[in-house]
Amino acid sequence: MFQALSKTVRAPVARILAPRAVLVETVRGRKSRTDPKAKSKIGRIKYPPPVDPEEMVVLKERFTEYTLIMRALRMQFKEEMLRKRYDEETGSLAEARAKQEAEEHQSLMAWNNQENERLRKIRELRVQQEQEQLDRQLREVALARQQALEELVKEKELEILTLQEDAKTFITLENLDQRIEEALDNPKNYNFAIDKEGRVVKKTVMQ
Amino acid sequence: MPRYELSLILKAMQRPETAAALRRTMETLLQRGAVVRDLENLGERRLPYKMSKHNLRHSRGGYFLVDFYSSPSMVTDLLDHLGRDVDIVRTTVLKKEEQPQSVSYCCSPPSPNSDSISPSQS
Repeated sequence: MFQALSKTVRAPVARILAPRAVLVETVRGRKSRTDPKAKSKIGRIKYPPPVDPEEMVVLKERFTEYTLIMRALRMQFKEEMLRKRYDEETGSLAEARAKQEAEEHQSLMAWNNQENERLRKIRELRVQQEQEQLDRQLREVALARQQALEELVKEKELEILTLQEDAKTFITLENLDQRIEEALDNPKNYNFAIDKEGRVVKKTVMQ
Repeated sequence: MPRYELSLILKAMQRPETAAALRRTMETLLQRGAVVRDLENLGERRLPYKMSKHNLRHSRGGYFLVDFYSSPSMVTDLLDHLGRDVDIVRTTVLKKEEQPQSVSYCCSPPSPNSDSISPSQS
């Protein structure tokens, strides 16, 4: 008696919310398989519902017609759909589309190439100009350096010449005595006096 | 080679002795490979303060100026040598700069009539 389970306990939550395949399920209810039939139900015979033959015939004809038409329609639509799909993939439409795409692709590639050419020309010009500028700068720098070097050499030469001139007045062993005598004879005096108006007086008294 | 200036204070002596001392100094310089450019005499004057050197107290001395070219390593050696000379009271070696002195007026250029004022007696 208690072996048959009730529906509500059996199903988990998800299965209650899912759509039902069968509207009414056969459930054992209170009694199990081995329980005897109830006394009130011993002589019970189940009869199928009564059917009117003429009605049945008409209904059957109508149903066959109906189902025929429905199936035909369905199959036609299906065929149409399949044909369309086939056309799209491998039929004439597909070829036309492929051709159009190829044309578009070609035109776009041509445009791209043109753009590339144009930009290349501009770039070449720019690069050339930059190169020229660089060359010019390098040349200028080299020139400046060379000029600086030349100027330096000239300066040094001048220095050397002045020194050579001065060397004639230097003291050597020969004119040592003479120079000493000269120096002792001419005492130099570097002192001078100056006032706020800027008047200089060089003659001072020797201490 | 750098250019040096040796300011020399010699003892107050007679002329031949001064000449001899100077000659000695010059020979030292030349011997060490210096090129002597010029020798100036600033006169025999009263020293600004009394200086003691070689156990002698000096109040008068002869000022001399020697500018020469030499190598830097020679200078310390020279000073050492001159320090031992009895007649030399004081030596100072200074470096001489090469650039020309630019004339710069501090307040205003000097007036054109720069008459000499009579020197004041000190």
